[in-house]
Amino acid sequence: MLYKILVVDDEAPVRDLFDELLKKENCQTVSCASGEAALEIIKKENFDVVLLDIKLPGMSGLEVLKNIREINIKLPVVMITGFGFDEDLIAKTKQFGCSGYIGKNMPVAQIITTFKQFVKNSKEKG
Amino acid sequence: MALYLSPDGGVLLCNKKTESVLGLKQAEIIGKHWLELLFKDKSKAINKNMFKAVMDECTTYKREKDFVCQINQRLISWSINPVLDKNSQVEAVALFGQDITAIKERESSIKNIDDSLKNIFSGIKEYALYVINLDGNITYLGMGAETMFGWSKKEIIFKHAGLLHNITTEYPDLEFILKQVRLLGRYETETELITKNREVIPVILTVNQFLDAGGNLSGYVFIAKDITERRKLEFQIFQSEKLAALGQLSAGMAHEINNPLFVISGRLEMLKDENCNQKVKTSLDLISSQTDRIRKLVDRILKFSRKAAPVLEMLDINEVIETVLPLIHYNKLPSAKIEVKKSFEKNMPKIKGDQHQLQEVFLNLLTNAYQSMPDGGVIKVTTANFQNLYAQIQIIDTGIGIPTHHLKNIFMPFFSTKNEGIGLGLSICHNIIKNHNGFIELASQVNQGSTFTIKLPFV
Repeated sequence: MLYKILVVDDEAPVRDLFDELLKKENCQTVSCASGEAALEIIKKENFDVVLLDIKLPGMSGLEVLKNIREINIKLPVVMITGFGFDEDLIAKTKQFGCSGYIGKNMPVAQIITTFKQFVKNSKEKG
Repeated sequence: MALYLSPDGGVLLCNKKTESVLGLKQAEIIGKHWLELLFKDKSKAINKNMFKAVMDECTTYKREKDFVCQINQRLISWSINPVLDKNSQVEAVALFGQDITAIKERESSIKNIDDSLKNIFSGIKEYALYVINLDGNITYLGMGAETMFGWSKKEIIFKHAGLLHNITTEYPDLEFILKQVRLLGRYETETELITKNREVIPVILTVNQFLDAGGNLSGYVFIAKDITERRKLEFQIFQSEKLAALGQLSAGMAHEINNPLFVISGRLEMLKDENCNQKVKTSLDLISSQTDRIRKLVDRILKFSRKAAPVLEMLDINEVIETVLPLIHYNKLPSAKIEVKKSFEKNMPKIKGDQHQLQEVFLNLLTNAYQSMPDGGVIKVTTANFQNLYAQIQIIDTGIGIPTHHLKNIFMPFFSTKNEGIGLGLSICHNIIKNHNGFIELASQVNQGSTFTIKLPFV
């Protein structure tokens, strides 16, 4: 197994897609639909990286990120965004040590490459 | 003043007032010739003739203009009155003088006020005053009206005021306005007036009753204030607000589209790795390329709606344009010859702006200019210092131009007069310039060309 990944997205088809794509890349995935659930899981299990949707019902992606930092300061978090690369958002999530961004508007192949690069970088740093 | 003269002009009698004005005793006055006494210095001949006329025709002579004398700094206006005997022969002449010094002074000061009012009013271009009578005919065209309407007084006096009013407007018409004035005494409304050249001027019109000396309604006084500039500004604000609202809507929609799109394209990629027959493969490729098209469209919409704050740095606007000019050659070029002429202000103060965003604006506008000239032409790019407040950039082409009725939509998203593109270029430009606290305007004439004018504030 390459990495253990937590996928947080409120839409099941998106979660399933990540599950399958990442499994093909030899990763193990756990997924959940809300920030609250994600925080519970992170408290119990160790992950190499969290894939976190920025737009979640209830606790927003940004708030989840803040909370993750309280639990595990080093855990790499990659934000998934439907808004492309919004500069304002980048500035805000960067403050809370977000490792990188994946836009849902990126081609899938590029998403996977980008994602792998993020994880590799943060592993090297860590 | 009163003097009594013999038919030959010698003074027989005079009153006290004459003594005091002339500063002479009666004894010194009597016996002197009236012309010697009163008109020492000037126009003796004329006055002599008048006197003769009075004598010959036995009529009173009173022509203030010709018959005024100055005595000890007083202006006296004279009338010559024949005194007839029983046989209707002139027996003597009575000379009555009126001190008009004060009247003249007042007249001249009124004239001064008049002149300065005239100057003040002629300096005010956005107001026009006119009066109509009860039949609706124009009876007076005041200051500013000739300038505003392009009609001369001669042309329009006694014509019906309907000539000046736009009947096709949604604003209250003349008849309604006059009815309101009769009811309320005064009425104010926004409306539109028409010039001699059939141009429509938006105005605020204030109409008051015009009363005669007896207090009866005898007409209406119109004061029109030209609000073209205000309308322009309002339109810009309206446009910006509309664009902002559309931006929000687009962003929301694009986001919603992104999720299912992401799933579709992801699943497609996975399917491509499966073993399937050629027919399915071809279909998958087609679906994939069409999905890609949607993704690019959504990307473009997101770019348009994104309110990215400009990353500000001090920029030489000439340099920014220089970096873009070589790039336009990479655009799909019409085969026709297109010449680019530059004219840059050498001592341009710097502006604060986002280099990449501004480059995008200029690239967009230059590309538009290129594409508007399928048969070739000239693109002029100029920069200038506008009143030490703004860097003014103009991109002028000699292309096909844009019809007037399209001009107001030109910055709207998804509006395009071209076959290719989705019509977001100019609305993105508009957004960027607005985020820089600047202005962008387009003037265009069909088959003459278009001129984009951008103003960016100096720091």
